[in-house]
Amino acid sequence: MKKSHYRLLIAPVLLVMLIFAGCNVFNIEDKPDPNNTELTTVIQNPSRSEVNTLATGTESSLRTDLRIYHINLGMIGREMYRFLASEPRNTQDLLGGGSSILDPGSFYTTRSWAAFYASIRNANILIESVNTITDDNVLSSAERNGVYGYANTLKAYEYLLALDMMNENGIRQQSQSDFFEPGPQLSKQEGFQLIKDLLDEAATNLSNAGDAFSFPLSSGFDGFNTPATFLQFNRALRARVAVYTEDWNGALGYLDDSFIDAADDLTNGVYHVYSTDPNDQTNPVFANPQAGAGDSWVVHPSFVADAEDGDNRVVGNKAILRVDSDGNPNPATLDGLTSGYGLFVYKSQTEPFPIIRNAELLLIRAEANINSSTPNFAAAKTDLDVIRTNAGLSPYTGPLTKAALNDEMLRQRRYELFFEGHRWIDMRRFDRLDELPLDREGDNVWVSFPLPESENL
Amino acid sequence: MKKRYRLIFLCSFFLFLTQTGWAQFTVTGTVTDASTDEPLISANIFHQPTGRGASTDANGEFSINLPGESATLRISFIGYVSQNVEVSASTNEISVALQPDVANLDELVVTGLASSVKRENLANAVSSVSAEDLNGTSPAQTLSSELYGKVPGANISSNSGAPGGGISVKLRGVTTINGSSEPLYIVDGIYLNNDAIANGSNAVTAAAAGGSASNQDNPVNRIADLNPDEIESIEILKGASAAAIYGQRASGGVVIITTKRGQGGKAEFSASQSFGITTISNKLGQRNFTAETAEAAFGEPGLALYNDAVANDRFLDYEELLYGQEGLLSKTQLSSSFGNETTSFYVSGSLQDDEGIIKTTGYEKQSIRANVDHDFTDKFSVQVSSNYIHSESNRGLTGNDNTGTTFGVSQVATPNFIDLRPVNGVYPDHPFNTANQLQTRDLFSNNESTNRVLTSVKASYEILRNAGNLLSFQFTGGVDFYSQNNKLIFPADLQFERISPQPGTLVETNTDNLNTNTQAILVHTYTPSSAITLVSQGGYTSFNNDQNIVSTVGQGVLGTQTNVDQIVSITNNQTRVFQRDRGFFLQEEFNYSDTYILTAGVRADKSDRNGNVNKFYYYPKASAAWNLSNNDFWKSEAVNNFKLRVAYGQTGNLSTFGSKFTSLGPSNINGLGGILITNTRGSENIKPERQKELEAGIDISAWEGLANLSVTVYQKNISDLLLQRELEPSTGFSFETFNGGGLRNRGIEASLDLRPVQRDNFQWSSTFNFSKNVSKVTELSVPAFDVGGFGTSLGVYRVEEGKSATQIVGLDPAKDGSGIIVKKLGDGEPDFRLSWFNQFNMFKNVDFSFLLDWKKGGDVINLTELLSDLNGTTADYDDTDLTFPDYVNEAGGITDDTPNGIKRSNLLGVTTRQFVQDGSYLRLREIGLYYDIPVSALSQLSSGLRGVRLGVSATNLFTISPYRGYDPEVSNFGNQPIAQGIEVAPYPSSKQYYVHLTIDF
Repeated sequence: MKKSHYRLLIAPVLLVMLIFAGCNVFNIEDKPDPNNTELTTVIQNPSRSEVNTLATGTESSLRTDLRIYHINLGMIGREMYRFLASEPRNTQDLLGGGSSILDPGSFYTTRSWAAFYASIRNANILIESVNTITDDNVLSSAERNGVYGYANTLKAYEYLLALDMMNENGIRQQSQSDFFEPGPQLSKQEGFQLIKDLLDEAATNLSNAGDAFSFPLSSGFDGFNTPATFLQFNRALRARVAVYTEDWNGALGYLDDSFIDAADDLTNGVYHVYSTDPNDQTNPVFANPQAGAGDSWVVHPSFVADAEDGDNRVVGNKAILRVDSDGNPNPATLDGLTSGYGLFVYKSQTEPFPIIRNAELLLIRAEANINSSTPNFAAAKTDLDVIRTNAGLSPYTGPLTKAALNDEMLRQRRYELFFEGHRWIDMRRFDRLDELPLDREGDNVWVSFPLPESENL
Repeated sequence: MKKRYRLIFLCSFFLFLTQTGWAQFTVTGTVTDASTDEPLISANIFHQPTGRGASTDANGEFSINLPGESATLRISFIGYVSQNVEVSASTNEISVALQPDVANLDELVVTGLASSVKRENLANAVSSVSAEDLNGTSPAQTLSSELYGKVPGANISSNSGAPGGGISVKLRGVTTINGSSEPLYIVDGIYLNNDAIANGSNAVTAAAAGGSASNQDNPVNRIADLNPDEIESIEILKGASAAAIYGQRASGGVVIITTKRGQGGKAEFSASQSFGITTISNKLGQRNFTAETAEAAFGEPGLALYNDAVANDRFLDYEELLYGQEGLLSKTQLSSSFGNETTSFYVSGSLQDDEGIIKTTGYEKQSIRANVDHDFTDKFSVQVSSNYIHSESNRGLTGNDNTGTTFGVSQVATPNFIDLRPVNGVYPDHPFNTANQLQTRDLFSNNESTNRVLTSVKASYEILRNAGNLLSFQFTGGVDFYSQNNKLIFPADLQFERISPQPGTLVETNTDNLNTNTQAILVHTYTPSSAITLVSQGGYTSFNNDQNIVSTVGQGVLGTQTNVDQIVSITNNQTRVFQRDRGFFLQEEFNYSDTYILTAGVRADKSDRNGNVNKFYYYPKASAAWNLSNNDFWKSEAVNNFKLRVAYGQTGNLSTFGSKFTSLGPSNINGLGGILITNTRGSENIKPERQKELEAGIDISAWEGLANLSVTVYQKNISDLLLQRELEPSTGFSFETFNGGGLRNRGIEASLDLRPVQRDNFQWSSTFNFSKNVSKVTELSVPAFDVGGFGTSLGVYRVEEGKSATQIVGLDPAKDGSGIIVKKLGDGEPDFRLSWFNQFNMFKNVDFSFLLDWKKGGDVINLTELLSDLNGTTADYDDTDLTFPDYVNEAGGITDDTPNGIKRSNLLGVTTRQFVQDGSYLRLREIGLYYDIPVSALSQLSSGLRGVRLGVSATNLFTISPYRGYDPEVSNFGNQPIAQGIEVAPYPSSKQYYVHLTIDF
């Protein structure tokens, strides 16, 4: 009895051994992510093509969630409304309706912010991975400088967008090499300093980057896709930062190194481009100006009402009269707001969206000439007239005073750069937010977005 | 299981037959049901001292040889109270009438990978649901919806009223925050895939565009494919203490489903047919406008349309127009059982064709099953189960969107004075919305078609048997393969497609999913004396999953073409998921005279979902049950069974796929290929969550099973939670999964079975099931975070240390007027659930039963009302009955006399309390009345007829609820561990009425 019992205990052990001997049924293979490129595969000694994909991904990422960013700026700057029936926060929170506030946890705050910093992270991954390249045959030292100049410029641009939104609340620096630790919080002033430093560092990189980039750029950078011409784009951004920080004399200097050209097309510049190709994006702020009540994009009524007669940028161009199928006016209405004009800044879903263009540079030059410690009102008028003439308007005839010219400059910025992300910032810079129209009792104009809740600051 | 035991008894019978040489006698007899006098087939006759046994044949008769001069036989049958009968050489012809047993103490409950335990000896509160309980009263469309109210401790909730399923089952509270909270379903040894795969409607609705990445496509979870009519029984292991042996996939509990199997003998057939209709459960009504209110809500165009409607006296009921269909329901089921001594078959086929309450929506299912059992030798037997299912659902387009395209969101923008009906086939544009919902409903399609094959093989081989020892080897292999096709067609003529730059959208999603699992187990039963039984078992398990989802979105449809190459532009997406799990387990059971039952075991598991793929994680368990009533000191006549039990166990829960990867996704521009860091940071050290559960309970059965009470208390502690924390997005990453924190659930479950009346012509049985669970986040190593909802101003589920895991927070004015604060406004978890099932049998042939289901508490975020208010269409917009506290009125600038709609809109951004609504309900889940034509009458009709049953029934006949939406059972985000109750313009719930006919021959 006892003996057989022992046999019984041995039997299962033997059987289990028999079954599993030879075949390694317990071992599990550690397989990589089947759906995406794992970070570990590109962060060390990347190949040239991997650098290219990182560089292209960084450019592509600049477009992420730009819709939210531009609706934020467009609505608070009273340029337009988005009437989305299923999203009450657009017409309540953004316009300060009733007692609502800008929520640090809502999409309009968090999504744009996260998008800027994802781009910055991608640029930092690009820099860090190129840092590990020691073989000049993979990337030469000049080519590496090209990457750094490119990446730092785009980082500066994304920090600038973040600061545009957060304004008085400042931004946060991202650690370049530590991918996982949050960086220091920066005040508005420190934020601008970071942006300036990055742009200047990038300018140095680009000056030592040889004749050509090692990576391709999209057609949005046509004319700006060599280190030398990309530097002009970098300096254009630097000029924008200069006027944002009231460094008007400096702005004039940066403009000289940019692509400003009063004789050139006002639309010359650097753009986000769009296509319907796989994994590409379409213009996020394009919408049919006649689109129905569930989701309508309309211009703020004041944009049409305040326009100068004959301005070819307004009705029939950026503002389209909304009509129904019988041709009768068909204003869009939501939440106590109404507009008779559909928004039509972009004419198709693949129309490029400007990052910075010649018109803005001319207006920056005008602004600098008006507000510089050694003003040059005549030069300012010359630039403003270029803008006016292009808009089908006669040259400026008002007084050549700082106040009057600033009015005119801001007016041209409003109409020329309509819904390109400037109005709210411009009015804020000139302390004129109280001049923006309030459409409903209890509405407010916000000055800054709160820092996202998830920053835990 | 029963079959295997029969086999063991049969084997032992032969074994002892060969050894007999001394005095013996033969006992013959019959075993019948005491209440109906019907013979009982396969009842067990057992002689403990010798281990000899027999079972009754088709006539309820048996014969057994016994040694000596006299003996005590134990006569038992599942579902009946066992009896001991004295026999001797002189009294060798007996007839035994067994009493039906409500407590089912002898029922064998499958609890482990290779073992079952008599209910009397269970140390856990394992709930069993029989075929009769499951769909004996009134059928439901899918399996999950037939479990409502039948399992204490289960919180079952439908995500929407759309035909074809989408139901969440949670056992004993919140078991995870970011993992899967659904139980593991095992059908005849097959580890079932229960994924909910998005149909891709987000491409049009952009529901997730507002920042919520969750699936809002109203998907079906695939457990819906099972045909409830083929199920013999369901056993539910509700927590880690019972489910520990299932290891790392069992934290949500385990649902073990056994399908029907053949009985040897002459072929028997059963055919049944049900017809029914379904209608909307609850209409919300519409706002009655005046010229002033029409203009206020819809401006000048609204006033013009209103005047037009007045002139033509044309006000339309849009709920009737959209949700008013009386859908036809039909189900046909044919099954047969046949075989001989060594082989038996169960073959079943069913056809189901249900319409929904929205025209063009519906659900169809065809299923065939063949279950084959064969004994190759006395020692070697095989069970094969195979099932093919084709299901097809058309679920319409409901729920949240950001484009105004779903039926529900269109509906809330529709006042009763506009006319959206087609004229000569031409649909007018909706004047206040991007979509005319009647046009969308009639012209678009959202079809889901699934082909699924489930197959399992169980082989059992008896390696060794001698006195007191039985060693057997069991192998189980299961395969679950399905191919799911989702096709959405939005023709270019739809109102919202016409204005698109590329009119017309096609979405085609193909999913292949393969689950395979094996287990190989040795079981050794050792009986050193008649009082002691030791069962040792150990074995190996493996589980593999491979899933491939390929989705194509095409924009710019060419004419009426529906192929995804017949378009202007295309977007592709592919997601692959894999899982490889390996594990082993050991378990020891000790039973002393059915009085003291001790069990201990350990499961070891590893998986490639973990950071370290080859590290084993161990899940121990131990339990003890003490049947006091089997002790000699137990004298009570009234209380037949009194058991104390305690059980402890651990289980795991694996991270969702991809949690450990930090990756860059594709992001192209202008024909150049780019890669962009995704917002989720991978966690290289991710490991399973660990649930530790201790449960204790008491089971009492009194007056020969006329009253049974089972009470269980439990505490579940879940540690190393799979948390997705929000990272500081300035790092470039917004989310990360990590192990941390702790969660606790405490709860009580009770069930009380009563048989108040047991007369020949009237029998009444009544069951109460009660459960209550309280959860608490005991530790959170990160700041509080939100797990569902649309931001604090609209109400979110917030996970916060020291608080209930299901709390809903939102805005509210501070009472001192110092501003607006964020605070708890509700809780998604019910205060308790109580169900009451009653069954009456009258004049032997009439059965009447009903099931009432009461959920007390459990709040729901009602955003349908918000959208209706913003559009000015809420039915109660002009009423003033809704009131808020004074300090809220003050902060919102309203008074008690302000119309409800304006009150709620004005309070948007001030408070969230108007959206957080009490989701309590009392629902008549099932009610049924059946009549069996008496056997005497049948035999006059045809000798082949065994039974004819006629019936009428209804499901969800009424619901009483303070909730102001369509149904408090709702989930815009599908199956969620926490954020279940959020309503955004869903498919409304429905009720069903049926007539039934079943013929057995």
